[in-house]
Amino acid sequence: MISLKPRSILLISAIFRVGLILFGEWQDTHVEVRYTDVDYLVFSDAASLMASGQSPYKRTTYRYSPLLAFLLIPNSFTSRCWGKFLFSASDLFVGLFIRIILKQRKVPDDLCTYSMLIWLFNPFTFTIGTRGNCEPIVCAMILWIIICLNNGNVVQAAFWYGLIVHFRIYPIIYALPIIIFLDPCFFRSGTKPLLSDWTSDQGKARQINSELTDKCVVSDALKSTFTRSRILFGLISGTVFLLCTGFFFRLYGWEFLHEALLYHLTRTDPRHNFSIYFYHIYLNYERELSVLEKLISFLPQFIVQLVLILCFAKDLVFCFFVQTVAFVAFNKVITAQYFVWFFCLLPLILPWSNMKLKWKGLCCILLWMGAQTHWLLWGYLLEFKGKNVFLQLWMASLLFLAANTFILIVLIRHHNYGPVFRQHTDLKTTKTT
Amino acid sequence: MRFSCNFSSTLFLPFSYSMSTLQYNRLCFHLKLAILWMLFSGAVFCIHVFASTTEVETNSDAGKFIMKSYFENYESLHDSSFEDFMAHQLSSSLCQGIPDNWNVGVRLSVRELSLVGEGSHRHLSSSIRLQIAAASIPKLPAHLCEVIVIQRLPLGVFADPFELQNPHKHKAFRDIAVFGDTNLELPSFQSNRSAVEFHIDAGFNILFMQNNGTEFNLLLPLHARYQPLDESGYSVVEIGEPDMLMRCSVEGKQHKQSCLFMSPPNEKAKSTSATVAWKIPAGMKAHAGFVSVITFVTALLSTLSIVYASMFLSGTKVSKT
Repeated sequence: MISLKPRSILLISAIFRVGLILFGEWQDTHVEVRYTDVDYLVFSDAASLMASGQSPYKRTTYRYSPLLAFLLIPNSFTSRCWGKFLFSASDLFVGLFIRIILKQRKVPDDLCTYSMLIWLFNPFTFTIGTRGNCEPIVCAMILWIIICLNNGNVVQAAFWYGLIVHFRIYPIIYALPIIIFLDPCFFRSGTKPLLSDWTSDQGKARQINSELTDKCVVSDALKSTFTRSRILFGLISGTVFLLCTGFFFRLYGWEFLHEALLYHLTRTDPRHNFSIYFYHIYLNYERELSVLEKLISFLPQFIVQLVLILCFAKDLVFCFFVQTVAFVAFNKVITAQYFVWFFCLLPLILPWSNMKLKWKGLCCILLWMGAQTHWLLWGYLLEFKGKNVFLQLWMASLLFLAANTFILIVLIRHHNYGPVFRQHTDLKTTKTT
Repeated sequence: MRFSCNFSSTLFLPFSYSMSTLQYNRLCFHLKLAILWMLFSGAVFCIHVFASTTEVETNSDAGKFIMKSYFENYESLHDSSFEDFMAHQLSSSLCQGIPDNWNVGVRLSVRELSLVGEGSHRHLSSSIRLQIAAASIPKLPAHLCEVIVIQRLPLGVFADPFELQNPHKHKAFRDIAVFGDTNLELPSFQSNRSAVEFHIDAGFNILFMQNNGTEFNLLLPLHARYQPLDESGYSVVEIGEPDMLMRCSVEGKQHKQSCLFMSPPNEKAKSTSATVAWKIPAGMKAHAGFVSVITFVTALLSTLSIVYASMFLSGTKVSKT
């Protein structure tokens, strides 16, 4: 294996993405099937409207924060590819942040390199930025928040967290684990928390970590629930979120609130997508669903999120990962772009996994891709051949959920769970007394 | 080595201990560059607010689109209202007394109407013939004439206005616009009808018209909406022929005005029976019961599996006890 320097990897990735963007422009002009995502055209139109002083929500199906349209304003006067370059640059930042986070935990160079390659050369991820999808920006911000938390920089983490929740809403599911993560045992004013390092002997690490966790739980009295870090995080992120939302509400009114926020909270799309709920929603669209029915569909999501948080919050990145996979799998609407939300976290948990690529890892990959391809085949028959295959498509989405559940369970089983932080040595003396 | 990084760098770079000083300095520099670029973009944005015109065209010319006048008088598109509108309100805009009698022998007919493609995304192909009596052609201001085609769409299908605005694909048309319900996402039972209006420059075609007239070919991209539930599993949507007129700008007594030429009513009646049928898949009501039950049971089973794995199969404290 030729050892690749991170700089070389990033350079090659950058050149590759530039090439893809240029190819995409050529394909859009000369081929019937467009390379560029439809959403990119929506963002660009909204940015043009904003550049001319109008509301970006005049563009139908624009359902994002005005911040995104603002970022794409240069599309109107420089090049219409500006947005794609911005998203691809965020993509590269995600690769860089993956390395930084792993280096913070003293993961060896070769594992860091593999993790970077898993993100930067994953066909799914490099097409998403070059096609003009904005998810890489979200991923980059999430990873930055993790870097800040690992460094004990609560203020900055809170700032970016408030911003990301305004931008995309789904990161709200990370609120509780972050609060739990800001454990007063490790987050004490004036001292930077100590990270527990990666070790090749994962069994020993597991033993040590669980001992430390036991000791810490004993000292975690009720009074330490509302600590300075936690209150600070909650206040700052809440303030940032409310300020952004309030500012744009002032500018664009109820239309902003409906399209950018409420739509995502209440979205039920009867059109076919990967979610198991789509056919149920379509068959019942003509009548109003009862409160009980709505509750029943929300309950699995709620229970899974709660249990995952309570079990894994101390191992923050792993908690984020499993939460995101479960969130996407149980959501009422699943589109392919949502997968990026956990793809950016996968390289961060793999160094702590016992699972080998041969053959368990490979089986998981093939199972996930197989279930997806199976769904896509039925989707193609329905949408492009006009055959009534709703039932088969729905069963394919049930299979997809089953595949996601299975892979999640396998990853949980093979993960070497351990809190991210370890105690400062001076604490040990107080504990023994 | 102490390095100077201003407030912005301090805000965004907390992790100096994990990188070398040189790398940290470089990152500081790049970050400053990024912040400067964002400020520059913001400044240009402010300039643009005062300077630029809108990029997304809104058809502001009041008299330009016939469907715009229709929707000023009626709330939604119904065949009876539309026919009423065409018969009464447009007759006042017909070319009268130009030059001597109003009938200059304009005949617009649909030679062919068909649906091209498969699935939920198809093209409506229509071939329109324009015939004008030879004697009348020199009297017409040919270069100021345009053919207007109005394609009324049924409830089950829609045209994407943004797709039609693509100048690359629709160069031949002077204008295209969609009126009515242009919501791309709602199923048909929650939406209203829409219509597409084409304006085609007829000057060249009129000047070089053959005895049997001239032809225009239209290819309109259409998309199927989600249909109401049906026992058979399919819903059939019928698309009828478009309505056609010709509009010319003529010199009036005081200023230029436009007037319309329509095919004589008895001519139109001949070809109104031609429609195309589009069979679109629809959900089946019979599935409703068991689909809901199995969906929720599957969700429940997945939930229980994940909960069990998290609590008893992972390396957490709970699994150890």
